[in-house]
Amino acid sequence: MIDVSGLWHYDGRTAIRHKVDLRTGDDGFSLIGDNVDMGPYRWSDLVRRDNSPDGPVYGLKERAGWRICFASGVPDAIRDQLPGPARYGRWVDQLGFWRASVMFLAVSAVFALAVFKAPDWLAPNIPFAWEKQMGDAMVGDFGGRFCNGPGGQAALDALVRKIDRGKPAVRVHVANIGMVNAVALPGGNIVLFRGLLQEAKSPDEIAGVLGHEIGHVRKRHVVQALMRQAGLSVLLGGFGGNGGGYLNAMLAASYSREAESAADDYAIRQLKSARISPDDTAAFFARMSAQEAKLGEAAAALGYVSSHPLSQSRERAFRQSKQAGTAYAPVIDANQWAALSDICHNDPKVPADDSLFF
Amino acid sequence: MGIGTQDETAFSFDGDWQELAPILFTNLMLSIVTLGFYRFWGITRERRYLWSKTRFIDDRLEWTGTGKELFLGFLLVIAILFVPLFLLQFVAQALILRGHTAFAGMLFLSLYLVFFYVAGLAIFRGLRYRLSRTHWHGIRGGSDDPGFGYGWSYTWKTIVGSFVLGLLIPWSMTSLWSERWNRMSFGPHNFESSPEWGGLMRRFLLCYLAPVVALIVAIAIVVAGAASGGSSGGMAGGALAVVLVLGSIYIVLPIMALAYYVAFFREMIGTLSLSTLNFHFSARTKDWLVLMLGNIGLYVLVFALALAVASMLGVATLPKDPQALAHPPIATLAIIGLIVAIPLGLVGGFVRYRNWHFFIRHLEAGGEIDLASLTQSSTPEPRQGEGLLDALDMGGF
Repeated sequence: MIDVSGLWHYDGRTAIRHKVDLRTGDDGFSLIGDNVDMGPYRWSDLVRRDNSPDGPVYGLKERAGWRICFASGVPDAIRDQLPGPARYGRWVDQLGFWRASVMFLAVSAVFALAVFKAPDWLAPNIPFAWEKQMGDAMVGDFGGRFCNGPGGQAALDALVRKIDRGKPAVRVHVANIGMVNAVALPGGNIVLFRGLLQEAKSPDEIAGVLGHEIGHVRKRHVVQALMRQAGLSVLLGGFGGNGGGYLNAMLAASYSREAESAADDYAIRQLKSARISPDDTAAFFARMSAQEAKLGEAAAALGYVSSHPLSQSRERAFRQSKQAGTAYAPVIDANQWAALSDICHNDPKVPADDSLFF
Repeated sequence: MGIGTQDETAFSFDGDWQELAPILFTNLMLSIVTLGFYRFWGITRERRYLWSKTRFIDDRLEWTGTGKELFLGFLLVIAILFVPLFLLQFVAQALILRGHTAFAGMLFLSLYLVFFYVAGLAIFRGLRYRLSRTHWHGIRGGSDDPGFGYGWSYTWKTIVGSFVLGLLIPWSMTSLWSERWNRMSFGPHNFESSPEWGGLMRRFLLCYLAPVVALIVAIAIVVAGAASGGSSGGMAGGALAVVLVLGSIYIVLPIMALAYYVAFFREMIGTLSLSTLNFHFSARTKDWLVLMLGNIGLYVLVFALALAVASMLGVATLPKDPQALAHPPIATLAIIGLIVAIPLGLVGGFVRYRNWHFFIRHLEAGGEIDLASLTQSSTPEPRQGEGLLDALDMGGF
């Protein structure tokens, strides 16, 4: 039995500071002083707290505010019984700073790799039926904005069958919206905007653009993007605030550029096997690239932020895929093309929508 | 014991940034290798240091919060806030695709209101958590109120505060502060807060009117310049007007806003009491200005350094070929990320240190404390930390 004198003590019940002595027992100690709960207490219930200027401070598990401070120093005889200081957090304290750092780094690398790569091999294994259910629920009848002029949808379906015979079939519609664009929504729902049809000079051009969107569907890019987005949000959740958000947007854009290139490759292959000339699609990108040239120097910086590869390089890719000696035929005939171009114009019921959202 | 005598203030801070630096550097290192997740433990280490260097009368404060609590709070927020938001985004998209833009708009509006509610809840629970983890003489603070009611108050008072062109903002800020603090306690005693907002209106109107006055003066100068004839007179007048308007927006307005906030803070702390203790905050606008300029200076300095390092490494220059940019390697992105993250991570800690030092240096208390009747708080101890506050990026004291 050893007595240690010169401690101060808070019992966690009132703010009074008690002067106490500590007397060791079998596997613990008791406190001796006026009006204090003498114990006994177990060494193993002690927790190291931050130092007071007077000396090291210990708390007691499950007793909020209970403190003892060795104001006259810790005798060597009981030093081994006392818990060590808590510094970085339990895992790091146990492993040591450098060992923990290396281990954390390895775990982070594996985790980051999983987040980046998992969507690539997980997405193709998600049943298309699930994606289709979700997509159809989202798209519905597109708010009645799909055009249905006589013969138009039939011509469009014929065009699609030429370039894609995959199962399950994609669902392509023209929406009465002025934007020059097309989108692949979840579940193989592809929407062409009226603006694109108006801009198009030939059905082959539409075939190229549609081939690109169908490429997104067949390569499961939509699900992939969703999974990647969710994964990155978790991964970068550690960095609070806006920094994580910007980094997330940059990484996501870089991956979506990869998907765009893959979709272009798909379109080129499909055009080739259907014997449709890639010239018109190339011409379409040439027109787009003329618009980008107006932006001048800014185009280079655009490479960082735009999700599509710059039009010029896309034009080159399509142009180069043309094979000498192949007999190309238009994807649909002149009558079908006329019906398709006027699919919205010939449908008086469909409302035009150039609202804020499109 | 009696406190607040002439020669000795009740609060003092004897921290040292050189002691803090190793804590901040190791925090940064561990945060990087854990993709940022260590920051919950890092913040805890930082607070333990700041609290342990803060003395009130005869003993220092003690921070008893843990990194795990903050982390759990963060996970909770992800689960109850961000997962539903992620899913709702599909509902919003579906509404837009199906042409129900009005419904989508209503959805966004209600989300906006929910965000207000959650922000209020976060402020309340953040304060409650911090008090419950602050010990002095073995006694802690807290609140019996979980803050759900305060979330509603925050929503409607903030909205009403913006009525009448924002003239009621001092009222909403004042009333929310006192509502919050009147629910807080330390030991067995409730905090009492009874601030007046009328006295704040003069400074608020000054900062409110500054741009208007500048605009009127600017227009007057242009008109006078044009009237005095000659295009050169008009040009000079126009230039002067532009300088005046920009100056008032970027220099005068922030200073006026600061002056208002200083008065607000002084009134809030000055009307706060705990049992027989009365608090007082002595900082004037000049002191706050020095604090703010110092903080801004720190950020500028460190960013300049980071940029210099980045340009030496060659990552700050853009390659000529745009195609090379179309697929920036992950390594480049990571370096850019680190160049932003390292300075932000480091400076943040020093800025919080300066703010805390400033706060304690100017905080005073007077009155009597009876240690025997300062008994342990019976308020519930929140099991997780200030996850909401953290997620919504709201700090401050």
